[in-house]
Parts: sequence; C-alpha cells; structure tokens
Amino acid sequence: MSDATPTTDGEETASTGDAGSNDTDRPADGESAAPELVGEALAVGYPGTEEPVVECETLVLPRGEVTALVGPNGSGKSTLLKALSNRLDPETGSVVLDGTEVQSFGSKELARKLGLLSQENESPGSLTVEELVHHGRYPHRGFFDSVDETDRRAVERALELAGVEDLRDRPMDGLSGGQKQLAWIAMALAQDTDVLLLDEPTTYLDLHHQLRVMEVLRTLVDVREVTIGVVLHDIGQAARFADNLVAMKDGEPYDWGPPRKVVDEALLRDVFRVEADVDVDHPTGPHVSPHRALDETEGR
Amino acid sequence: MAGDVGTTQSREKRRPAWLDGSLGLVAVGSLAVVVAAGLVQVSFGAFTMPVSQAWLAVVDPQVWTNPQFLLRLFLGDGLGTTVAGALGLSTAEVDLAKETLVVWRIRMPRVLVAVLVGVNLAISGAIFQAVTRNELASPYILGVSSGAGLAVLLTLVVFSGFATLLPLTAALGGALAFVLVYAIAWQNGTSPVRLVLAGVIVSMVFQSLQTALYLLASDLAVVQSAIAWTTGSLTGVDWEQVRLVLPGTVVSFVLALAGARQLNVLLLGEDTAQSLGMSVERVRFALSAVAILAASSAIAVAGIVGFVGLIVPHVARILVGSDYKRLMLACAFAGPALMVAADVGARLALNPTQLPVGIVTGLIGGPYFLYLMRRRSNLGDL
Repeated sequence: MSDATPTTDGEETASTGDAGSNDTDRPADGESAAPELVGEALAVGYPGTEEPVVECETLVLPRGEVTALVGPNGSGKSTLLKALSNRLDPETGSVVLDGTEVQSFGSKELARKLGLLSQENESPGSLTVEELVHHGRYPHRGFFDSVDETDRRAVERALELAGVEDLRDRPMDGLSGGQKQLAWIAMALAQDTDVLLLDEPTTYLDLHHQLRVMEVLRTLVDVREVTIGVVLHDIGQAARFADNLVAMKDGEPYDWGPPRKVVDEALLRDVFRVEADVDVDHPTGPHVSPHRALDETEGR
Repeated sequence: MAGDVGTTQSREKRRPAWLDGSLGLVAVGSLAVVVAAGLVQVSFGAFTMPVSQAWLAVVDPQVWTNPQFLLRLFLGDGLGTTVAGALGLSTAEVDLAKETLVVWRIRMPRVLVAVLVGVNLAISGAIFQAVTRNELASPYILGVSSGAGLAVLLTLVVFSGFATLLPLTAALGGALAFVLVYAIAWQNGTSPVRLVLAGVIVSMVFQSLQTALYLLASDLAVVQSAIAWTTGSLTGVDWEQVRLVLPGTVVSFVLALAGARQLNVLLLGEDTAQSLGMSVERVRFALSAVAILAASSAIAVAGIVGFVGLIVPHVARILVGSDYKRLMLACAFAGPALMVAADVGARLALNPTQLPVGIVTGLIGGPYFLYLMRRRSNLGDL
C-alpha cells in the first residue's frame, strides 16, 4: 500500500498503514485483481466556467479499499467523481485506471471496468427490481446478444449482495427511497466492475438504509475486493466505514489518509466550519460530536 | 441476507418475460377491431353490393389460391409477375368476379394503408417518447409535421409542376426539418429538453411560412388538397400507396424491435445509460432516425395524421407496461386498430363526403386526454 501515498498540497502526508475497520484479512497488494484509480495533476471545470472547479495534484483510490470523498457543499467532490469516471474531461492532467488512461477505453469497455452510480436516478415506475438489475448487464452484452447464464448469475449475485432478493418482482414505484437505492446499487453491482464510484448514495435515506448501503459497500470490498470511491455527506459515516478519507475544501484536497489520521478537530473546523469533539480512539473509528456551526470569520 | 443463495440461483427457467396475458389481450383485441372495421370498410362504397357478398369477396378462393394475384397487388404488376415466375408459381391472368375486384382492388388497399400507417405512427411515437423522456411526445415533436407541411404547401403552391412527387417531397420535408432540429439542438451533444425546444423553434417558423403560403394559393382546390395533406387523409389511396409505405414500415419496425433494449436503458436516464457504457448521443440519433423513417413513410401516403402516434403508445404503456419490447409489439397491434377504426368514421360518417382521417383521430384523441387528465395527476412523467 505504500505506493498509494500522495502528497496533499503541503498538508501533512498520511500513510495508510492503519485503515479504519475491517482491513485485517484483505490480500496483500499486487495479488488483488482490483485495479487502482489514480488522478494526476487534475484541473477539472465545466464548459462555461473560466476557473477550474477542482484542482488536485494527486488522488489515489487504492485497490480493494473504500475511499470516501468528504467536504462541504460545493467543495468539488462530485466534480472530482465525474472526472474520475470519464464523465468530464479534465482541462489538464489525466485519470489512470491500472496504468491506462480512462479516455482511451471504449465506452462499453470502460463500463465493464468502472461503474458510476449517480446521486439521483429515475426509472419507469412499472420496471421491476429484477428488470432494473438486468440492465446492469448492458456493457457485457452485444447488440443482438440475449441474456446468458453469466448474466443471470451476475444478476442473482447482485440481488443477493445488495439484499434485495425479496423485492425482485416488485415494481420500482412501489418501493421506499431506501429500497430504491439498494435496487440501483444492485444494478451497479450486476455491472460487475472492479471499480465502483458512488455519488452520495446515502443522502435522503433513513438511518437503517444508510447503514445497509454502507454495509453493502463494505462487503463488496471485503469479499469481492472491489475498489470503491464514494462521495459522502456525513463525516461520521465516512469515518466509520471508509479505509481512506479525502477531505475536499474549495476544490482542492485538504487532507488525505485513513480516518484515524485525518479526522480531528482541526479538520472539522477548517473544512466543515463546525466546532466538534473527535474521539479518535472510539472502537468503530473516530467519533465526531459536532457542537455548533462557526460563523464566517471564526472558521478561517 | 446471504443465507439462501443456492435456492434463488436455481430458479426455474421461465417463459420469455415479454410474453404474457396483457400483451396477448392487446393483440387479440386490436386484431378484432381491425377485422371488424376492415369488414365495414370493404362492405360500403359507390358500388353497392350486399354486405354478405362483400365479406365473401374477402375470402374469395379465387384470390387466395392464386398467389400471383396477391403478389401483383403488393409488388406491382411487373415485379409481382416476375417474382411469381421466379418462385415457380403460375403467372396466368386471374379471372375474378366484379364484387371481388371492387373489394380487393379498390376497398382493401385503404384498410391496408390504414394498418401500416397505424403501425408507423405508433412505433414512431413510442420511440420519441423514450428519446425525449416525455410521455406526451408524438412523432411530430422534432419538427417533422411542420417540415412536411411546409414542403406540401411549397409543392402545391410554388412548385406546382412537381405535384406528382408530393408524397416524396412531404416525407423529405419532414426528414429535413428533423435534421435541422438536431443541428440547432447540438452543442457538444444534445439533451431531451434542447431537442424539444429546437423542435418548437423549427415548428413555429415553418408553420408561419406554411400559413403565409396559403394566402398565395389562388385556387380553392389547391387549398383543399393542402388541408387534406396537413390534416392527414386516406381518401383515394390505392395499392400504389401500400407499396410506397410497406418497405419503410417493415424496416423501421424491425429496427425498432431490435432497439428495444437501447430504449429501455435510455429510459433510466442519460447518466445511467452513460455509466452502463452506452454512447448516448449515437444511440439517440440512430433511434430518432428510425422513428423519422417510420413517420415519413406514414406522411408520404396519408399526410400528417395527428394523435395516433401520441395516444397509441400511451394506451399501450398503460396496458402492457413500459418495457419497450412489449410496448413495440403492443403498438404494432393497437396502432392499426385506432387508425382503421378512425378511418371508418372518416369515410362513412358524412357519406358521400369524406373527412380527412386526422379530424377523426383528433376527435378521439382530445377526449381521451381529458379523461387521463381527470384520472391521473402526474401526467407527463415517464
């Protein structure tokens, strides 16, 4: 894991030796099938904006780990995720998936290696969960191919991993927000990619389903050694489930590393502009107790 | 949640998921309507004969045992005879009763054209509803009707020497308007909203020009002909129109069925489709082109028939769900049902005056949407 140690704009450099929870029985680096995703010298903007929205020297999603992108609204997390998934062409720099630039993949080829689940998804209401999950096989099927045994197995596995087997025949418009999200995650799982990026998968969900989603991601990493990048709103959740945190501030990474190294009072003050206590030694990862919002002058 | 893997993985093979009762019901019901309305159509006309005799003419063994007669009708006299010869069939002239000739040569093509136009408009509308992700989209949403209308007026009023090419210019005008809409909407790619807006822009301009051209028409017959074209009419269609619309119908229907899965994925939204590896722009353009082929074929023989392409996919979706394979099949049955039934009204309601069929479909379409509006609050979302 030592190759996954970027420097972050002169802030303290984190080592990834002690990563959050559940990292004991992961295979050593190099043996893992999952690739790593690296962004180098990235400057990312939108058509029509003059300044790039995100600038980032180096960003690494280490293979077979959960990396959480956290930060306040407008800090560039989602933009960064779009650049990593080849949705936005960076103005400078490149995104490299296991040694190959993501732009050089064909669209279906990339979709077999890298999945992206957007923040808000809409489906026809009468679509059943199983039908939706079957669409996850799209990049694996040619224009005239019908569903084969591999597709069926991948769909079953995805339904099971996401824990939505019971819902398979239910139409989407009959599901709660949390159940819908799990169904969408199952679709992304059926895509059977080595890298999975998710944009705020837990926002708007009730607590039960937030934890269900995070547990699914954890299982994916621990059992299938998938490389995961996830934008999270909730720093506490990120600290609890992620192996690595990337804290974004004003379009630049503020700090990078395992939660126990990164999450502290200073980070919450500087990045999130809240006054909080952090219990770094809490058994499930650093525990954040926010007290109050700092006003404009205090936080800087 | 990991306990029962084995049992779920060995789920038994099921029959094809797209085939089920509701689709069968739509097919049977639609066929019944087409047959009933078709029989009405062949029974009445300028040449009076007993209804029973007209029905017997439809099943006249002289027709069905002489394939060369049918081949000549569908492929034209020359090609039909050649094909019959090539297939080793008899190429002899067929001697038919007068009633049979009237039914087959004069009344039947109108029913068949209605069937084919119904298929075309329904699948075209269904495709555009997915491409624009709007349940209220019609085949004409991307400027096709205004382009075809303008081309009709131009041909009739300004370039009247080309009046015989009217079917072609109408279809071409529609296709050109679509290309123009796409060009206007394109800006590093398109989006459903931009396409629809570009459609509105082109429609507005073309419609103004079209209206202006009416003022230049000095002859009442020209104006009436133009109105018939821009409202959609099946008056006077013949086997020539069957032959004109058939190839486009077959090609676009096959392509639409083959593209059903692309349409399903497109319905999940642009972001998801892209994440799944779809080249969204390319697929969207290709599918739109298929829909335009279908709509243009229909326009070439029937003019701009409204509402069919809007209502039929809508009804079909309520009956068989949003899966596009099933939806396309349902459209291919329900489209003809509406079209043939509406044409009965157009041809016989004010006998001997014939109405443009588009007037009848509009009279059916309006109240249907009123009914929907009362029943459902979230009309429009797909």
